[in-house]
Amino acid sequence: MADTPAVCVRDLMVMFPTPDGPLPAVAGVSLDLARGQITGLVGESGSGKSTLALTLLNAVPDPGQVVSGSVIIDDVGDVLTLRRPELRRTRGARIGYVFQASQNSLNPLKPVGKQLLDLGRSHGVRDLRGFLHSARLLIDEMGLDAERVLASYQHELSGGMRQRVGIVLALVLNAHVLILDEPTTALDMLTQASVLEIIRKVHAQRHLTTLIISHDVGVVGDLADRMAVMYAGRIVEEGPTQEVLAAPKHPYTRGLLTAMPRITGDITEARPLPGRVPDLASVPRQGCVFRPRCPLATEVCGTAEPPVTVLGDRRFACFVAAGEAA
Amino acid sequence: MIEGRSITRTFAARRGMLGRRGVQALRGVDFTIPDRGAVSFIGESGCGKTTLGRILCGLEDFDGGDLIVAGRSMAGLKPGQRAPYHRRIQLIHQDPYSALNPTRTIGQILAAPLALRAGQRGEDRGWLEQRRAELLGFVGLDPDYVLPRYPHMLSGGMRQRVVIARALTVDPDVLVADEAVSMIDVSLRLGILQLLRDLRQAVGVSVLFITHDVATARYVGHGGQLYVIYRGTVVEQGDTDTVIQHPAHPYTQSLLSAIPVLRGIELPGPERVVPTGPLDERSEPPGCLFEPRCPFARADCRTAPPELGQLGGTEQRHACLHPARRSVVAVPAGTGAG
Repeated sequence: MADTPAVCVRDLMVMFPTPDGPLPAVAGVSLDLARGQITGLVGESGSGKSTLALTLLNAVPDPGQVVSGSVIIDDVGDVLTLRRPELRRTRGARIGYVFQASQNSLNPLKPVGKQLLDLGRSHGVRDLRGFLHSARLLIDEMGLDAERVLASYQHELSGGMRQRVGIVLALVLNAHVLILDEPTTALDMLTQASVLEIIRKVHAQRHLTTLIISHDVGVVGDLADRMAVMYAGRIVEEGPTQEVLAAPKHPYTRGLLTAMPRITGDITEARPLPGRVPDLASVPRQGCVFRPRCPLATEVCGTAEPPVTVLGDRRFACFVAAGEAA
Repeated sequence: MIEGRSITRTFAARRGMLGRRGVQALRGVDFTIPDRGAVSFIGESGCGKTTLGRILCGLEDFDGGDLIVAGRSMAGLKPGQRAPYHRRIQLIHQDPYSALNPTRTIGQILAAPLALRAGQRGEDRGWLEQRRAELLGFVGLDPDYVLPRYPHMLSGGMRQRVVIARALTVDPDVLVADEAVSMIDVSLRLGILQLLRDLRQAVGVSVLFITHDVATARYVGHGGQLYVIYRGTVVEQGDTDTVIQHPAHPYTQSLLSAIPVLRGIELPGPERVVPTGPLDERSEPPGCLFEPRCPFARADCRTAPPELGQLGGTEQRHACLHPARRSVVAVPAGTGAG
């Protein structure tokens, strides 16, 4: 059952126009979301992680353009070829998306219950009574008081509660793929822990395929079965979370982990990552994109983009790490 | 040295005709910031830690208690007379993107406060330029690169360094860093944290670090004092590493239990403490403020509010009637695991 991935992204390229001509925000990304698993996508701002996630809905914001690649979701096919009406049905019913800062994306003028009904109507749900009933069950699952939540306006809910309502809205149409973009950013530690616990629970109970996007290695390291690390529009490393964290291959993953202040271990061993986070214009046009910040860079790194090395269950794109593995 | 004595602050809340009860942001907080010291305040959003930082910088007034700066009692001074004392305490904002004037170059941004300084000291333009370059050196920036540039041309990390350099222009005693890295890219955060740590030695400034992120407090506050704040009261206080490794108060334990565990390199603490419910700011329990959410609350917790350190202990003080040692902090997994 876990043999075919639920979502298959292949050679995806998304370009944005810039003063220097069109430049890729996502540059040839391939990624599988294993069925029934939680995949974590880690990257810094501008790494292209949100753009990548939005292509799963075929919703890349203007003026961005998908120039090549495919996004195959099972029971749906390639979402990049869908026409508007089919796309409308797919979003919500197949893929639930919890947007970044979704705690601020509720309509401030309508109570949550009315917004739920709007969602049901716009997706052609006939049995609205049954729809509300399943929403109530879902809200209960989140550990909230359904009656109170449905009657509340967004300002009457706390940040953690709004985030949970975002998850309810994403799942109430029975989506089987759940995408969460920075679900805990701007929440404090205790609220973050409870939201992560709820994601874990809902994921298991509903047999979802989940993608969680975060700049925080901790969130992904705690929650995800597999993790992918994104840098400058590329996935530079991907594999089972435990293995990637215990023995990172790519120098960027290694650098990120050493640059993290942690609660365990020797605090004096933490080291900052040198250099600056590239934006579209400052990404190197030739060779490995991480080269300017890489402590291991050699001459070959400037010549071409490193190919993906597959090692058992793991993949990484680095000349030096490939040499170490060989 | 800066000292806070039983500082209280209540914000007026309009609650219709019946209740005009305010929100008690601070309920009597004592703290000490030693010279060249590191002090961290940690707690949930709304616990009062930011209000405390703003009071220190003079951006907010306090209702009761006293703040002692350079030996002077602020409560005894008129607000207008406090300014030179508060100037010794400089705030590093959370958002380096809005803290710098976008129409001024970094050179101009730093020259303005330094010109005042030069006037006070009777120094000339040469001193200003030399001092400006020196300050940029302290914060790890290349003057030739940043001086002619505008804020938008710099990364978030560089902007935060400029903000720190600007705070240093007035030779402060204390830097108050309130969530100073939460908007910085993760690969660059540690650089800023390291800078805050190093400045204590390099320029002899103390650092007050305000955050909800215990791991960053552990890094910056290493060797200093940690204050755990809950609903405007200090519930636990002590040496940073001691409190993090051996928390006694259930609230501290729940904060530490909430830190994500890095699978493959860490194992979760076996005795995770999870609060029994969310924070209800409207409730005013008669006893311990944490009692309604505390999984270990007993009958006597509801009678009277426990006081910090009433059960003895000087290295580490807490406000809990029934403290217990619990292993809540993640531990490193064996090497080579995975």
